[in-house]
Amino acid sequence: MTILYLILFLLGAGLVACLVERTNANAPRWISLFAFIIATIWTGAIWLGGADPETGFYVTGELSWIPALGINVLLKVDGLSLVLIGLTTILGVIAVVSSWSEINVSRGFFQFNILWVMAGVIGVFCAYDLFLFFFFWEVMLIPMYFLIAIWGHEDRSYAAMKFFLFTQVSGLLMLVAIIALVWINYANTGVITFSYDELLNVELSGTVGSLLMLGFFIAFITKLPSVPVHTWLPDAHTQAPTAGSVILAGILLKTGGYGLIRFTVPLFEEASRDFAFVAMLLGVISILYGGYMAYSQSDFKRLVAYSSIAHMGFILVGVYAFNELGMQGAIVTMIAHGFSTAALFMMAGSLQERLHTREMSQMGGLWVKAPRMGAMTMFFVIASVGMPGLGNFIGEFLVLLGAFKVNVPLTVLATVGIVVAAVYGLSLMQRSFQGTPNAQVATMQDFGFREMSVYAIMIVALVWIGIYPQHVLDLAQPTLDALGIAL
Amino acid sequence: MLWLVPAIPLLGSIILLCTEGRLPKMIVAVIGSGSVGLAALCALYIGMNVVVPGEWHYTETLWTWMAVGDFNPSVTLYLDGLSLVMTGVITGVGFLIHLYATGYMWEEEGYSRFFAYMNLFVFAMLMLVLGDNLLTLFLGWEGVGLCSYLLIGFFHTDPANGYAARKAFVVTRVGDTLMALGLFLLFREIGTLEIQAALDGATSTWPSGSGINTAICLLLLGGAVGKSAQVPLQTWLPDAMAGPTPVSALIHAATMVTAGVYLIARMQDIFLLPGPAMHWVAFVGLITLFISAFTALVQTDIKRILAFSTMSQIGYMFLALGVGAWSAGIFHLMTHAFFKALLFLASGSVILALHHEQDIFKMGGLWNKLKIPFWSMVIGSLALAALPLTSGFFSKDAILLTAYNESSYGVLFWIGAVSAAFMTSLYTTRMILITFFGELKTEPHDHSRINMWGPLLVLCALSIGGGWLGFTVLAPFMGDGGVPLEFHADLIALLTMGVPLIGIALGYLIWGNHTISVEGFVGSTLGERLSQFFFGGWGFDWTYDRLFVNPFVRLAQLNKSDFIDLMFTSIASLTAAIHRLVQRTQTGQLRWYATNMVVGLLLVVLIVIVQA
Repeated sequence: MTILYLILFLLGAGLVACLVERTNANAPRWISLFAFIIATIWTGAIWLGGADPETGFYVTGELSWIPALGINVLLKVDGLSLVLIGLTTILGVIAVVSSWSEINVSRGFFQFNILWVMAGVIGVFCAYDLFLFFFFWEVMLIPMYFLIAIWGHEDRSYAAMKFFLFTQVSGLLMLVAIIALVWINYANTGVITFSYDELLNVELSGTVGSLLMLGFFIAFITKLPSVPVHTWLPDAHTQAPTAGSVILAGILLKTGGYGLIRFTVPLFEEASRDFAFVAMLLGVISILYGGYMAYSQSDFKRLVAYSSIAHMGFILVGVYAFNELGMQGAIVTMIAHGFSTAALFMMAGSLQERLHTREMSQMGGLWVKAPRMGAMTMFFVIASVGMPGLGNFIGEFLVLLGAFKVNVPLTVLATVGIVVAAVYGLSLMQRSFQGTPNAQVATMQDFGFREMSVYAIMIVALVWIGIYPQHVLDLAQPTLDALGIAL
Repeated sequence: MLWLVPAIPLLGSIILLCTEGRLPKMIVAVIGSGSVGLAALCALYIGMNVVVPGEWHYTETLWTWMAVGDFNPSVTLYLDGLSLVMTGVITGVGFLIHLYATGYMWEEEGYSRFFAYMNLFVFAMLMLVLGDNLLTLFLGWEGVGLCSYLLIGFFHTDPANGYAARKAFVVTRVGDTLMALGLFLLFREIGTLEIQAALDGATSTWPSGSGINTAICLLLLGGAVGKSAQVPLQTWLPDAMAGPTPVSALIHAATMVTAGVYLIARMQDIFLLPGPAMHWVAFVGLITLFISAFTALVQTDIKRILAFSTMSQIGYMFLALGVGAWSAGIFHLMTHAFFKALLFLASGSVILALHHEQDIFKMGGLWNKLKIPFWSMVIGSLALAALPLTSGFFSKDAILLTAYNESSYGVLFWIGAVSAAFMTSLYTTRMILITFFGELKTEPHDHSRINMWGPLLVLCALSIGGGWLGFTVLAPFMGDGGVPLEFHADLIALLTMGVPLIGIALGYLIWGNHTISVEGFVGSTLGERLSQFFFGGWGFDWTYDRLFVNPFVRLAQLNKSDFIDLMFTSIASLTAAIHRLVQRTQTGQLRWYATNMVVGLLLVVLIVIVQA
C-alpha cells in the first residue's frame, strides 16, 4: 500500500498548502518543497527495498473500489514505473524551486495544483486498472489546466483551452477504446473487469484490434506529442508559468511514452506490429519537423517547446522498432529529456523574470552579464544536442541503433535530426547568450545558490545517465521482459 | 594506470570550471598547463614500461558503459603503437601549446574558462585515440568537436566568431552523422563495436570484400572527412581561425583535425579488404591537397594561409592512407603536428606583437625585430615545404614515393601531389617574404617571456630533428616495421626532392627581389577571376549557402507559425462561423420568426407530398 500512501500524501500536502496560505503566504511553497523532497526519499527507499523476486514488483496495493463493475484501485510499481516516479518526484522539487519567486497570486492554490498534478502522474505510472488509469489521466489534466489558465502569460486562456481540448478529445477516444475492450472481454469470458493483467489476454480480431489500438495510440501521441497532433504544445508551454512548463515537458509528455510502452503495445501487440511503420514514420517526421520548427522560432520558450517534439519523436521511433535496444533507448530518452528540457524551461523562466520577455531578439550577449546562466544554458543545450557522456546521447543512440536493424531509410532520416538539433540548439545559444551584448539590458542578476543547486541536481543526473546508464537500464529491463513482447 | 592520462586533464578542466574563474591567474596557468604536462609524463612512463619489441598492445577496462542485450560496450582504453604515437603528440605538443597559451592569453578575459576548455579538449582527444571501441572513440570524437566549437567562439561577444563556431560544429556534425550510420551498420552486420573484434569479424566475414564493407568504409570516411576538413566538408576550417591562435595550433592543426587520419588508420583492416574504399580515401586526399594549396597562395590573412596549408597537409596524409602507406601517413601526422604547431605559435607571437593584426600585407620588415618568431617561422616553413633533412621532408617524401608506386593511379597521385608540393613551397615563401621582409609597416611590441619562446624553441628542434624520431622511436611502434626509407637515385626521387627548391627559388624571384612580376597576370581579367575563385576556396561556401543554408533559413522564416495548426484552428473558426450564422437567425423580430415558421411548414408539407 506504500504507493497509495505516497499518492495520498501528495494530495494531502496539496490541501494543506492550499489552506495554510491564509495564515502565511510563504508557507505553501515550503510545504510543497518538503513534500516533494520526502516523496523523493520515499521513492529512493522503495528502490533500495528491492523488487519482489517472484513478481518483479517493488510495491503493490489493492483496494476494492466499484466491485460491481470490476473496478479496483490496483497499483503496482515495477522498475519502469519506479524510475518514472523517481523522475516525477525530483522534477517536483525542481518545479517548485523554479517558480519560487514567480508566483504572487493564490500561492496556496498554485502549490495545490502542482502537488495534485504530480500525484496524478504518479498514479498514471502505477495504475494496473484501466479505469483507475483513466481516472488518474484526468486528475493530472485539470490541475494542469488551472496552472496555465491562472498563472500563465499573456495568452494563457487560449493556450489552456487548447491544451484541455486536445487532451480531452484524445482521452475520450481512449475511454471508448477501454470500454470496448472491457466489453469484448465480458462477451468472451462473462467477467466484467478493468484489470490490466486480465485484459492482456483478450483475443481481438484484426480490424477491431487496430481500431482499439488507434484509440490508445492517438491519446498517447497527443500527449507525447507527435506531429500532427502537436500544436497544443508550443502554446501551452509558452504560456505556462515556469513550474508548469517544467512539469509539462519534464513529466507529462512522458506519460504518453509510458502509455505506449505499457498499454498500446502489449494490449494490441499484433495491431501495433502492423502499425509500426506508420508510427516510426510519425516519429521521424516529428524529429525533423520539430527540429525545423524549433529553428524558426524567435521565442526562447517556443524554441525549446518545439525541440521537445523532436526529442519525443525518438521515443516513438524507439518503441516501434520493437526491439530491446529501441525500447531501452526510448526509456532512457524519457528520463534524460526530462532533466535537460526542464533545465531549459527553467532558464526561459529565469530570463523572463529578469528581462520580462522571451523574445531572443531582445536578448544577445547575456553571457557577459550572467556567466553562470550562460554556462548552464550551454551545458543543457549541449546535452539536448546529444553529446556523448550525457544522458540524451545514450537514449538517442540506442534508439537509432535499434531502429537501424528494422528500417534503414527511416533511421537515416532520424539521424539527420541530430544535425538539425545542432543547428537549432546552437542558434538558441547564440541568439540569447552570445553575440554583441544587447545595450538595452543594463544589468541582469546572475544565478545564486538556490538556482545553482537545482541545476547541479540536473547536471549530476545527466552525467550519471550519460556515463553509467545501467541503473536505468536495469530497472527497465525486467519490465520489458515481463511485457511478454518477443523483442 | 593508463586511465590517469585522460583523467588528469579532465580533472584540471573540472577544477577550472567549478571555481568559475575565481582562482588567481598564476594558479590557473599552473593547473591548465600542468595537467597536460603531467599527462604527458604519465604517457611517457607507461610507454617506457609497456612497450616491448614486436607485436604488443595494452588494454585497461574501466567499466561497462551500458549493457542492453548483446550490445555491451565498455569504457576500455587500448594502447598500441598507433595510439601511443597519438597520445605522445597530443600530450607532448599539447603541453607546449598550453604553456605558450599561458603567456598568449594572459591579458584576455576568461583566462580560466579558456584553460578549462583546452583541458577538456585534451581529455576528449585522448579518449578518441585510446578508446578500444568505436563508441568510446565517438565520445572523444564528439567531445573534441564540442571543445572546438567552444574555443572557436571563445571571444563570444563578436557574432562573427559565433557564426564560425556554429559552422564548424554543424559541418563536422554532418560527417559525424555519416560516421554514426557507419557504426549502426557495422553493429548490425558484425554485432560489436569493439574495434579489434569488429576488424577480426569483418575480415573473416568478408574476406573478398563486399558492398556492405565498402558502405561502412565510406560512412567512416564521411566522418573522417568532416573532422579532418577534407573536401567536400572542408569549409569550416578557414573560418575556425576565429579562435585564439593557440587553439588553432592545438585543435585545428596538430591534433583534432588529424582525428580522421587516425580513424582510418585505426580501421585500416576493413579499408584493405577488396573494394573501392582505398581509392576514395586517396582521391579525397588528392583533391583536397591540390585545391587548398592553390587557395593558400592567394590568402592575405596569415592564419588563413596556415589553415589552408593544414588542409593540404592532411590531404597528404589521406593520400598516404589511400595508397596503403599507413606508417608514412602517421609519420607525416606527427611531423606536421610539430611544424604546424610551430608555425601557428610563431604567427601568434607576430599577431600579438602587432596588436592582433593578421593581414600579411600590413606586416613586413619584422625579421630583425621579432627574432625568435621569425626564425621559428622560417624553420617551420622549411619543414612545411619539405626541404631535405627537415622533418617534413622525410615524411612527405615517403608519401610521395609510395603514391608513385601505387598500381592503378600512381602517376596521377604523384603528379598531383608533387605539383601541390611545388605550390606549398611557393605560398610558404610568399608568406615569409611578405610578413618579415620589405619595409616595416607597423612597429611591433614583443612582450613574450620564456613560457612563450620556450615552446617555440622546443618545436623548432622537433621540426628539424623530428624526422629522426620517425626512424628511431616511431619505427618499432608501428606494426609494419616502420617507415620504408630507400633513397632512390632515380629521376622521380630527385624530382620529388627538388621541386620544393624550385618553388622557393621562384617565390624568391617573385616576392623577394621582384625579378618576375606577376602583377600583369593578376591584373588581367582572367587572373583576377582566378584569384577571386581561389581566394573564396573554390566556391564551396558559395554553393553550400545557396544549396542548403539559404533554403533552410528561408523555409524556416516562412513557416514560423506552423501550418499544421491551421488544421485545428480552422475547426475552431468553422465552428465560430456556424455559430455566427445561426446567431443571425435570432433577430428578436416576430415577423422574421413567423416567416420562418411558415416557410418551414411549407417545406415539411412539400416533402410529405413528394414522398407520397
